[in-house]
Amino acid sequence: MKRQQQKLITGGILLIFSLALCFLSGREFRSMLKKDNIYPSSGLTEVQKLSHYFPSLKGSPGDTDVYIFSGEEASGNLLILGGCHPNEPAGFIAAVLAAENIRVQKGKVLIIPQANLSGFTHNDPFEGNPQRFPISTPGGDRWFRYGSRLTNPVHQWPDPALYRNPAGQKLAGTEYRNLNRNFPGRKNGGLTEKIAFGIMELIRLEKIDIAIDLHEAAPEYPVINAIVFHENSAELAAIALMELQMEGIEIRLEESPKNLRGLSHREWGDLGGIEAFLLETANASHGRFKGKPSIALILEGKDNNYVKAGRLGRLFVPFDENGIPLEERAARHIAAVKALIASHNELHSESLILFSGLPDISALKKEGIGAFLKPPK
Amino acid sequence: MKKTAIIYCLMFLIPGIGIGNPEAIEPVFEQPILLTSAGQNAEVQLVSVLAKRAGLTFTLSKLATAAELADKKTLVLSIGASMKGLGAAGLDVKQEKTRITDLVKAAQDKKIPIFCLHLGGEARRGQLTDELITLLIPLSQAVIVVNSGNQDGIFTRLCEEYNIPLVGVNRVVDALKPIKDAFK
Repeated sequence: MKRQQQKLITGGILLIFSLALCFLSGREFRSMLKKDNIYPSSGLTEVQKLSHYFPSLKGSPGDTDVYIFSGEEASGNLLILGGCHPNEPAGFIAAVLAAENIRVQKGKVLIIPQANLSGFTHNDPFEGNPQRFPISTPGGDRWFRYGSRLTNPVHQWPDPALYRNPAGQKLAGTEYRNLNRNFPGRKNGGLTEKIAFGIMELIRLEKIDIAIDLHEAAPEYPVINAIVFHENSAELAAIALMELQMEGIEIRLEESPKNLRGLSHREWGDLGGIEAFLLETANASHGRFKGKPSIALILEGKDNNYVKAGRLGRLFVPFDENGIPLEERAARHIAAVKALIASHNELHSESLILFSGLPDISALKKEGIGAFLKPPK
Repeated sequence: MKKTAIIYCLMFLIPGIGIGNPEAIEPVFEQPILLTSAGQNAEVQLVSVLAKRAGLTFTLSKLATAAELADKKTLVLSIGASMKGLGAAGLDVKQEKTRITDLVKAAQDKKIPIFCLHLGGEARRGQLTDELITLLIPLSQAVIVVNSGNQDGIFTRLCEEYNIPLVGVNRVVDALKPIKDAFK
């Protein structure tokens, strides 16, 4: 009898402990649903939802914000996409920096800082990544989510064993939730395919001339610190590279493979007929050689394993004890966007896009990202 | 020692004779040009933009073959291997090497001079690129290289050995003048 009582007490304690654990971890998981605050510049014309272009997305976890900045005169139209992969923070933060600082004089600039909004609601717990990272502004810390490369499985489940994407490419099943393998999307597909379809609709309806998708990759990945271009934009990319080199920014060119389908720049160029680019910076927190994942690694980009890998010649970017901080990575994106638009303007006087307000690389490196972000409200 | 010092002095005083980093290449090449990449690199687009800005008459053909040399007077090769580029072109390393070897052989048979450029810098070096460099530089009549791609001196060594004019530039855009100067 006594023994049975002891068992009941032990079982009860374990049950309470398990429930507490479920409650606390559930609360942590749910905290990822809290939205990031973005405070657009005074040059903002309007904010739309992606569902404005594809109503089927309305109210879904993929219905992300589109910030629209119009100049006084209609001309060329630019789309900047951040957060296609929410675990690549420089792409997201560069888009936020653009949205909070840009002023458009001619043409129109549309910015989607969180292209895969669902991917920001979870963060691959087995990777041990932090859920958020702070950026200090003069008015206090701003916190941003560090999400996952893939759509949240709570929002799109299950993955097929093998995924044939809308462009016909066969991929691993998990790529069904990778926005940058889902273009041009499917009208009646999964959530990720619908997001891709919505972006294609935006490109069509807003008559976008040039679109730039901001990414990051591991330092051991060969396509790094690179402008990946659709073949219809080769000359523009080459001119942009020369502009960047004149500013002291080393960057490489890579042509988008025609046989790798479903990627933003490939399908935007093929089906949208627009000038399409993808930019990559080197992010140590994204790589497989990294040590302990941490907020410091995201922000400072310092990692001893990568220093060793660099010395052994295993990386595709120089990597020393100073790391590659978020300031530098976001600044590279901003500089490349400016160079691409300057080149677009050089080649296409009929669709000029003129804007100001984006910080330059030296200011970002010196003053930090926070100096160019609005304080938290 | 004295002899070496005199050679080094001459290297700096007489640009374009082959070794070191002279500022110009003698105008030995003629137009029209066939431009292609050796290794399917994207820098061929940089060469294309520079050639356009230099006012040269050229045809860019990513998969150029010997037949395309028919009416051409110079073969320009942008050296550098890109796995992404090879994949995009649907070629493997062996096929690309065969294409380039056949093209260069045809150019030599037709006495068409070869002008090589490596504009990808350090990032566009590696085993396959180095194999292409070793294969092609000895067969060329002039070479332009972005200096960060020549930190180990591979271009300097080969150009010195085969007495080929070499121009080193710090940035891609700096290659415009030597390209312009190299054509009659």
